[in-house]
Amino acid sequence: MTPKSYTDVSDQQVVVFAQEGREDAYRELIKRYERPVFSLIFRMVRDKETAEDLAQETFIKVLNNIDRYRPEFKFSSWLFKIANNITIDHLRRRQLDTISIEGAPDAITAERARATAVTVTSGGESPLEELESRELGAEIEKAIARLRPEYRACIILRHVEDYSYDEIAEIVKLPLGTVKTYIHRARQELREYLEDVR
Amino acid sequence: MIEHDFPEEFVPIAAELQRLPYMSPSRNFADNVIARIDRLQPARAVAPVVASRHLELQQGGRQAVIPRRRMGVVQATGRATAGVALIAAAAFMFFEVDVLTAILAAASTQYAFAIAAVGAQVGTLVLGPETIAYLQAGALQAVVLYITLAVGLFGGYAAIRTAAQIAKRKAA
Repeated sequence: MTPKSYTDVSDQQVVVFAQEGREDAYRELIKRYERPVFSLIFRMVRDKETAEDLAQETFIKVLNNIDRYRPEFKFSSWLFKIANNITIDHLRRRQLDTISIEGAPDAITAERARATAVTVTSGGESPLEELESRELGAEIEKAIARLRPEYRACIILRHVEDYSYDEIAEIVKLPLGTVKTYIHRARQELREYLEDVR
Repeated sequence: MIEHDFPEEFVPIAAELQRLPYMSPSRNFADNVIARIDRLQPARAVAPVVASRHLELQQGGRQAVIPRRRMGVVQATGRATAGVALIAAAAFMFFEVDVLTAILAAASTQYAFAIAAVGAQVGTLVLGPETIAYLQAGALQAVVLYITLAVGLFGGYAAIRTAAQIAKRKAA
């Protein structure tokens, strides 16, 4: 059976079509997850070009190994797991864990600073709310950027992507207790960083 | 919405975290990824297969027979004459067969299949196709019978000779 649209098709079913070599299924998986994966990676590396490269690497790795996907796990968990591994490996290589909302610390030119700055889009609030939201959102982005990469991944997966502790432990390949500790510390640090703002 | 497992002070921050927007990669992100998916790439050109003298692979595995080079009439006649002459000479030298018989034997051997084909066609016209088919089937059975007899005779002879040699050695 060939679906005309993948709108109501589950991830697992789309994966089955992808395993049959259907390009439209591959494109559907990319369409569904390019933004979450890119956002997670960007919030960890804070460089658009690097985030795009790493996100591409993630999808290429996942889709080239789609036959090895085990359906007992969520596809998104598998995808985020690979994205996290690739990003952590990159950070270990580059030691790029100090970042700023105005741009990466190594952004020595205006162009480079623009490339590494976060653009926060509005959610349809009033101009004042939008401004406050943008300010708070930007502050939160700043605060996240100051966390350790391991904390960043855990807190984003928990509070942005709504994953359970167990799923996060599976994604970041850490013991459940360690994940809980990381998230607890990340929350504490975020509260401290944002105390002045709020 | 995730369950509250954090202090109340963190609730507004959690709410803001959930409102953090997704960022989009470049427009050609999907195309760039798809371009590097190995299993979606068209099959690479297959290295040409070295063909045998008569066969080669052409366009997607269709097998075709390479046409034989056409042999000229003069060349064919020359080869046939040389072949017949060689066989006749050998027959004359080693088996003391007279030249005329040798030439006829060699010629008939050389052209046995052609003669058989022409004979079958003529026979079909004269006797009818059913009769010829019946004769051909009978001929085939006769050939099989002769081959079986020949193998049996040679096998039996070889076995008797081997047994005799063994007995002779033991007696010695």
